[in-house]
Amino acid sequence: MDSRLSRARPRKMPDLIGAYRPISGVSDEMVAPDGTVKPGWLKFMTALDALGHEELTDRFQHADQYLRDAGVFYRMYDGLEQGERDWPLAHIPLLIAETEWRHIEAGLAQRADLLEDVLSDIYGDNQLVREGLLPPELIAGNPEFLRPMVGVHPMGGHHLHFCAFELGRGPDGRWWVLGDRTQAPSGAGFALENRVATTRALADIYADLNVHRLAGFFRDFRNSLTDMAGNGSGRVAILTPGPLNETYFEHAYIARYLGFLLVQGEDLVVVNGEVMVRTVSGLKPITVLWRRLDGSFTDPLELNQDSHIGTPGITEAVRQGSVGFVNSLGAGILETRALGAFLPAIARSRLGSDLALPNIATWWCGGTAARDYVRDNIEDMLVGPALSTLLAIDDAGETLAAAELDTKARADLLARIEADPKAFAAQEAVKLSTAPVYVGDALEPRPVTLRVYAARTANGWSIMPGGFARVGYSLDTAAIAMQRGGQAADVWVVSDSEVEQVSLLTGSQRAIERNPSGNLPSRAGDNLIWLGRYAERCEASVRILRSWHLRLAELGREDNPLLVATTEYLEPLGIDTAEPVPAGLLAVIDGSVRSASQIRDRFSPDGWLALTDLQKTSRRFARAIKPGDDATRAMTVLLRKLAGFSGLVHENMYRFAGWRFLEIGRRLERGIQIADIATWLCDPDAPEGATEMLLEIGDSVMTHRRRYGYGHGNLGAIELLITDPLNPRSVMFQLTELLAQLKELPRGYVDGQLSPAAKAALKLQTELAVIDASDVSVETLNAISAGLAHISDLIAEMYF
Amino acid sequence: MLYDIRLKLEYAYDAPVSGGRHLARVFPANLPGIQRVVAAGLTLLPQPSEQTEFTDFFGTRVASLTYRSQHDALEIAVAARVEVLRKSPGIDFSPSPEKLGDELAATWDMSALSPHHFVAASPRVDLAPAITEYARENIGKAVTVHQLANDLCLRIHADFAYDGEATLVDTPVSEAFALKRGVCQDFAHIMIAGLRGLGVPAGYVSGFLRTMPPEGEQRLEGADAMHAWVKVWCGREMGWIEFDPTNAMRAGQDHIVIGYGRDYSDVAPIVGMLRSAGGQETTQAVDVLEVA
Repeated sequence: MDSRLSRARPRKMPDLIGAYRPISGVSDEMVAPDGTVKPGWLKFMTALDALGHEELTDRFQHADQYLRDAGVFYRMYDGLEQGERDWPLAHIPLLIAETEWRHIEAGLAQRADLLEDVLSDIYGDNQLVREGLLPPELIAGNPEFLRPMVGVHPMGGHHLHFCAFELGRGPDGRWWVLGDRTQAPSGAGFALENRVATTRALADIYADLNVHRLAGFFRDFRNSLTDMAGNGSGRVAILTPGPLNETYFEHAYIARYLGFLLVQGEDLVVVNGEVMVRTVSGLKPITVLWRRLDGSFTDPLELNQDSHIGTPGITEAVRQGSVGFVNSLGAGILETRALGAFLPAIARSRLGSDLALPNIATWWCGGTAARDYVRDNIEDMLVGPALSTLLAIDDAGETLAAAELDTKARADLLARIEADPKAFAAQEAVKLSTAPVYVGDALEPRPVTLRVYAARTANGWSIMPGGFARVGYSLDTAAIAMQRGGQAADVWVVSDSEVEQVSLLTGSQRAIERNPSGNLPSRAGDNLIWLGRYAERCEASVRILRSWHLRLAELGREDNPLLVATTEYLEPLGIDTAEPVPAGLLAVIDGSVRSASQIRDRFSPDGWLALTDLQKTSRRFARAIKPGDDATRAMTVLLRKLAGFSGLVHENMYRFAGWRFLEIGRRLERGIQIADIATWLCDPDAPEGATEMLLEIGDSVMTHRRRYGYGHGNLGAIELLITDPLNPRSVMFQLTELLAQLKELPRGYVDGQLSPAAKAALKLQTELAVIDASDVSVETLNAISAGLAHISDLIAEMYF
Repeated sequence: MLYDIRLKLEYAYDAPVSGGRHLARVFPANLPGIQRVVAAGLTLLPQPSEQTEFTDFFGTRVASLTYRSQHDALEIAVAARVEVLRKSPGIDFSPSPEKLGDELAATWDMSALSPHHFVAASPRVDLAPAITEYARENIGKAVTVHQLANDLCLRIHADFAYDGEATLVDTPVSEAFALKRGVCQDFAHIMIAGLRGLGVPAGYVSGFLRTMPPEGEQRLEGADAMHAWVKVWCGREMGWIEFDPTNAMRAGQDHIVIGYGRDYSDVAPIVGMLRSAGGQETTQAVDVLEVA
């Protein structure tokens, strides 16, 4: 073959790229306007091509499976139904060349510095207003302007520590800032999970492409927060609004990943101007709060008086300089849309130059010239509330694209602007660039925006080399919003040379810092006890129900005295035997999921999965199962799933105080359940067959037979289910375990002194230890049940 | 005029509270040219676990009180001597309502006295169109902003009935407006909403009012009141003028200021967060006595 000819022939394009059709007049992330493929993409797509459609689909399913297994979800608010949805991963990452990324990095660092200046001026001496660079209306009339923060110096001298920027690329190929996120930027944890999921699917390709790692960014930020808290007793906590928040999963995830405490407003209390967290070991100081809720909600006393998720007095602690917020309270004002109209002039005044990464052209209609311009160019504008803190593309309700309005609606909009110009801001409607997504078996272009994170470190702003990209589900720009079906893609910053391999665990030159186990917030301890109690209550009910249905299947009738007595026993527990999977049982399972959802940061993803699986299965059963045989089998399945959950917890949870509270909850509940139902053993009027059924419920049939043969029926059962210290189902066993765990709790056993709860447990245990099986009476058992309830109160009093 | 002021706020809780945190804005303010505080003191029963003080954004003195031990009642008492120096504002040289917007736009100021804080809606005052329409009826007749404010002050007094039973402390301004009745707090909020709706900056004033006993009757102990009225920005020259829509008058020698805010939420006498299960009963007694 002629070698010259071979050289001249263009290299064969991968089929995926060959079939890709970017939209004319719009930038594309993969294909340049002249048709060439941008750096990194060719190698990437060639590799995908080589895998083929089936393998690729398979691998993408692996990524989705990983996310489901990890419990990554996104909370939706769509009017009627609220719930958790699978995280919508767009499997093809967005590739950006390192050279281009350096430009973004430098631009965002400069921008973050300018934002810090603007914020400290707004809450400081208002030079910008006096110089005419910032209209006072935008500050004074802004709900994000928190007056109690005026004149307050932030801890460490800086207001901003963690920011996010939403970027979009225009038809001219330049990146523009669509919005600054300074209030409580979310998504950094999702960026991490996107990375893990995407690299699960494409590990080999990822390894070949020199992609910058994310862990270094998190390590640096963790260190800077720890430094801010000071060495010594200072602590860093992540302040979350709680499990109902749409990004709560991420709060728990970041807390676990970085090893910070996750707290809610009610966990904190302000004492002598210092913020303390209520823990099971008493009050512990908190120095730095990385907040994931709006600033105004942090203090119902001085800020938003309607807030139910705040901590009274926390503003005072900030004023006294004893606590630092990331970002400072009031930082949300920088997200105000109309502010974008003034940043260019402020940059020129303060930096002496234009911003390297400018925001999208913005006009505030409060100025006459700007209003006239907006009116004359309305068809090129997105118009919305001046003080909105939402990105225009996420604000479908209030922000209008004038080009999409009919004549009348456009006239209406202009009239509204004319009537109250100060209330409106307009932004240039930019055709966002597109990136390829895998649809069917081919690539299609979809509009894309890029969210990038910046963290303040000792060496200035560190920009996460990656982030997450939001990709529309259609070609409509508004389709990017995740609440409306948009997807999230990983972002790969691709280098020409090898990149540094970092992880959170290695490379740290610091001494090992161990978190003391007493850090457990009281609320978490309370929820762990309840989780243990609900799980155990569920097990007890399922065991009783199984025995009931087994007998129903054998007898074929419900009017048997034993079945009637069992139905009557279950009734006060809210469980109706008429329903094969009773609503009362579902409520108990829901209770355990609810308790667990409050403590996701202390809970392995596997445990969570086991619990939600139990919930799903029981709901499915409730729709389909019939009484008798069918129900007996269903209860056995539920028991197995419960055992799976218990096993995961028991085998995998580190023996911190948290596990002890969970264990205490289980022992309390099991003790109460057995003591209550075992009264039948001491009751001469108990229905026939009660002893056998109790042995079955107590999982002790075999032991009983081995030990006592067929004689000593009742007395043997009393021994086995009540006084035997070795049977893990006996009352005695629960009391012994309970006492052991209570002693191990913080302040449980100090200098020979037992806590009140441990004392009460010791008393109950001793009383039972010295009693003969033949002397156990209904009264004995009732006293134990009441004693256990009392211990529960004593624990709550001391620890929660 | 020299006054001795006594305020006693008593809270009785249905169930003992295990702790609480309160911000009290109950001290008369030092305001050059308006009033001078000779002395002021606070007495608390029981003694709080913590007691600090600070000055808020609008310049009001705030006592911060924290309770950590169980109690079933709280008594907050203030004793103060104040000299009121307030003079009549004299001739009206406020601009026309149309001109006020230009003066406002030319005011590049963010200090606590800046009118910009008092234009937009605030937590307790939304700019209800119905109230704006009500206020707009005055605009044709009034030549100046001061006249506009004064006319609205008189109209609210005439159109609304004073009724201590009709509204609660958290009744929304639109509801009080629709009821056409309420107390000083409601009237102040309605006047503020009306003026802001027309673009006139207006703020909330919390204070004490000396009341005169009916002719021929003895003054009753504790008969005076905590009171609320309105401050209106009458342009750069004239500045802030205070009107009392409850009594159809400008604030005068009987009005003693505690503090200013955008609405009640900025200057409520007591804001409190309790750790408690039950309700509470509140009583309030105020005496404003002229020092002979």
